[in-house]
Amino acid sequence: MECRGEAVVEKERIHLRPVTLCDAAPATLHLLPCEVLVNGPAPVGRFFTPAVRQGPDGLQVSFRGRSLRGEEAAVPPGFTGYVMVTEDRGERLKGKQDFSGSSESDGERDEQELVEAPESLEREFDRFIGATGSFSSFTLWGLETAPGPDAKVHGALAWPSLAEAIHAQVPED
Amino acid sequence: MDFSELEKDNTGRCRLSSPVPAVCRKESCVLGVDEAGRGPVLGPMVYAICYCPLSRLADLEAMKVADSKTMSESDRDKLFAKMEENGDFVGWALDVLSPNLISTSMLGRVKYNLNALSHDTAAGLIQYALDQGVRVTQVFVDTVGLPETYQERLQQRFPGIDVTVKAKADALYPVVSAASICAKVARDQAVKNWQFVEDLQDLDADYGSGYPNDPKTKAWLKKHVEPVFGFPQFVRFSWSTAQTILEKEAADVLWEDSPAQDLEGPERITAYFNKGSRARPRAPHRYFQERGLEPATALE
Repeated sequence: MECRGEAVVEKERIHLRPVTLCDAAPATLHLLPCEVLVNGPAPVGRFFTPAVRQGPDGLQVSFRGRSLRGEEAAVPPGFTGYVMVTEDRGERLKGKQDFSGSSESDGERDEQELVEAPESLEREFDRFIGATGSFSSFTLWGLETAPGPDAKVHGALAWPSLAEAIHAQVPED
Repeated sequence: MDFSELEKDNTGRCRLSSPVPAVCRKESCVLGVDEAGRGPVLGPMVYAICYCPLSRLADLEAMKVADSKTMSESDRDKLFAKMEENGDFVGWALDVLSPNLISTSMLGRVKYNLNALSHDTAAGLIQYALDQGVRVTQVFVDTVGLPETYQERLQQRFPGIDVTVKAKADALYPVVSAASICAKVARDQAVKNWQFVEDLQDLDADYGSGYPNDPKTKAWLKKHVEPVFGFPQFVRFSWSTAQTILEKEAADVLWEDSPAQDLEGPERITAYFNKGSRARPRAPHRYFQERGLEPATALE
């Protein structure tokens, strides 16, 4: 998409760690109809997931005392969802270890070193990102009513197929 | 009382009842309504009805039913057992409203306040007795809010029944006392056997009375606050005691219906449009606006 703001954004060189995409474990995702003004891990598995119920009109749960209704939303065909985390500058080494998977056997580490950019090359990148999880669907929650087919998110997920259609070569007849 | 239904799912409401005594389907009955656990910030609120034939009211009185608040827990349990023994003429029914139901009602887009919820629950239980074939001719209700308007509303809903709504009805009318005992016994049992929906580590069950002014209850709330999720569903989020603790000890949460001034908060994703440039970027096409899609040119 064209955007005039683009010109003034400082150019960054970002390296996506390819190994993390293959290693990314399936993740369970919930998209809530609210903004939680904090960033960080939350005990979803202990507080939220056990409270989800299958009601007569779909999934139901509550968050902070407010009633939510949910439905499954699928990632468009041909795509895979990834939970991406950026490593802070200067935290590269630490970050690399975080992304190396749960079983930190030496063999795996070696493999990663081979695929990763060598140290000399790393210096040329400003930031590194890696996947911590992958998903093919997620639960979309609405406040008191299910988001339904008109929800913004469903519309947004339809963009890739439209984009493909409008950018496809028009056959010459 | 068999709470297995409630223990299976305590996120909504749950109705429990005694079998209807045969005599209550034949003779005119008097019915009392009362509640327990309206004030606490923890646990369910229980509504109860108790009924018996007018001709047996003296027998109910002879059991020495009294306002549940004036009795010890063991005395209440004994009296409830006695009522069960007299199941040939005394019947009861309960509605257990989970703290989650109370929170989500009161914090709904359209606020459903506790008085309205109480009135509707009471009316629902009277209707339940009628549906079961109980020949209700008189109803006594311990008031919630103004007795006059409450009585008028109930009288309108049940025109064939003589409705009396009064403050302290639980001390004045034996059927209401009996209902208050049912409600209190049920509330105590529900709280004692509460199955926490959440998987809580080192849960401490020492939460005191559950009333907001109880220091033990306050300490428990402060101990069990979680920065993202707030509290377990055992807590009524709609109580100001709970809200005050959340404001101080948990992350702020903005909803689509939160008051507009709160929406300023920290930097929004659109803010980077204006960084370093006075020029307003051209608004994206409506197609993208309607789908909440924005071009991402930087990683935040």
